[in-house]
Amino acid sequence: MNDLVWLYDFIAQVLPLSSMQARFMQQALVALLLLAPMTAAMGIVVVNFRMAFFAEAISHSAFTGVALGMLFAVSPGWTMPLFGLLVGLGITAVQRHSDLASDTVIGVFFSAMLAFGLAMVSRDRSLARDMQRFLYGDILTISEAEIWFLLLLFFLVFIFLASNYNRLLYAGINSTLARTHRVRVQILQYLFSGLLALLVMFSVRAIGVLLVTALLVVPAAGARNFSRSAGAMFWWAMAISTSSAVLGLLISAQDWARTATGATIILVACFWFVASLLLARLRRN
Amino acid sequence: MDLNKRQASAVPQQNSAGQALCFVDVSVERGGIRILDEVRAAVPMGSCTAIIGPNGAGKTTLLLALLGELPYQGHISFPGYGGRRPRIGYVPQRLSFDRGLPLTVCEFLALGFQAGPLWFGVSAALQKKTKETLAQVKAEHLTSRRLGALSGGELQRVLLALALQQQPELLVLDEPASGVDFQGEHVFCELLDALRLSQGFTQLMVSHDLPTVTHHATHVICLNHRVAAEGPPQLVLTPENLSAIFGLHMGLVNLQSMPMAQAGCTAPCCQPVNEKQ
Repeated sequence: MNDLVWLYDFIAQVLPLSSMQARFMQQALVALLLLAPMTAAMGIVVVNFRMAFFAEAISHSAFTGVALGMLFAVSPGWTMPLFGLLVGLGITAVQRHSDLASDTVIGVFFSAMLAFGLAMVSRDRSLARDMQRFLYGDILTISEAEIWFLLLLFFLVFIFLASNYNRLLYAGINSTLARTHRVRVQILQYLFSGLLALLVMFSVRAIGVLLVTALLVVPAAGARNFSRSAGAMFWWAMAISTSSAVLGLLISAQDWARTATGATIILVACFWFVASLLLARLRRN
Repeated sequence: MDLNKRQASAVPQQNSAGQALCFVDVSVERGGIRILDEVRAAVPMGSCTAIIGPNGAGKTTLLLALLGELPYQGHISFPGYGGRRPRIGYVPQRLSFDRGLPLTVCEFLALGFQAGPLWFGVSAALQKKTKETLAQVKAEHLTSRRLGALSGGELQRVLLALALQQQPELLVLDEPASGVDFQGEHVFCELLDALRLSQGFTQLMVSHDLPTVTHHATHVICLNHRVAAEGPPQLVLTPENLSAIFGLHMGLVNLQSMPMAQAGCTAPCCQPVNEKQ
């Protein structure tokens, strides 16, 4: 009945820590091992395209996604990612067809989403209590169905990146040059924004609205300092993100720590970033 | 005068044989301002054509229209390539990019050619090809340097290598030598001349620099929203034309060094200037 039991048992054997014997910890670890490589790889492109603020706006539209679910009596599990996708594509379309600076466009979307979500939430007291889960995230309560969906997203993201990573990098460096090289920048941007919106919504579940951008940006930023080539940057981002996710989960479960998992993961990633800064300075000297 | 007549008959679309591309009544309007006004000009096949004109004359806009980056009215045709769009290599004026990005020159040159992601490095075959192209622009020593750490002149060569890597039939350069010192500029243009002759592409460049144009261009288009003059440099770069286009006396062009020293320009829009004399 539970198709992933073998995986959980395997984790329990590989990590014979007392904290890892609980099923919810094993599930959380699987979810993070799927999520962290995705955010690392997409994060490189986010940093390259300067889309951190875009990711921030999507994550804040989670409130509205949940509120809409309540309004139409549909599970927030559906309305959140769908609404995120809509906002992501909407921002991309307005950016392309408006003379306004891109951060201004995102700023307008951002405020509208947040205001609408908060207005809806403030009408319903029970929902207001639930908000904490969205602000801080809760990877420990992730369900089996969500893990399956993450697996699907994992394949989608990596198939997309494996076939378009170079073109995305090219378009990020200079879109005119990329276009003369027959890169279809516009379609790529829409596809990337859509996938990023879905990924951000799932990361909100794990790490919370407040810290989701950090999961995208911090590993990529650290990787930039560690590496000298685009190939190396990819693997550094992977290593930083995945190790931070695993270490963060383990530390947060320790008796002496007992911290929120999402926040702990980001803290570990930030340590990596500080180390990368020191290395970059040493290299310069 | 005979020569003048012959030049006059070479106005675009009347005789499109031997022309790589023709701009036919190309107009671009942005924010209510007409940047290009019915531009008619031709680029001869295999030529080094220079577009000159003052700041804000629409030189870069014309290139962007050609590259399909801007909507325009009118028509751009490619008679020299049987009407199909040629392979275009583009060297931008200034590559504004994130200089902190870890990306080697070799990876940069592979971006548009390697289908597989750069995660596993650049394929051996492509590395070899990249080195060969860099050698053509005398920059093979830059292969493993970081793109963001290159000087202006080095970056210019790498961008030229990127354009050459596409085996262009038409090479489009926007101010190829901006940000490079005079010596570097001369060397860059000599390099371009040699490559053009050996590879047979047509070269279209925007240039600010009149000495460069007089030395290297075989065809000149003077642009100031409209085409003010067009033809071989010895016919077009006359003091009268230049002062009409740039609005001041241009003492830089040494007419004595040109074979057709005193010939006037033949383009129709140039005629009022000549009549005044």
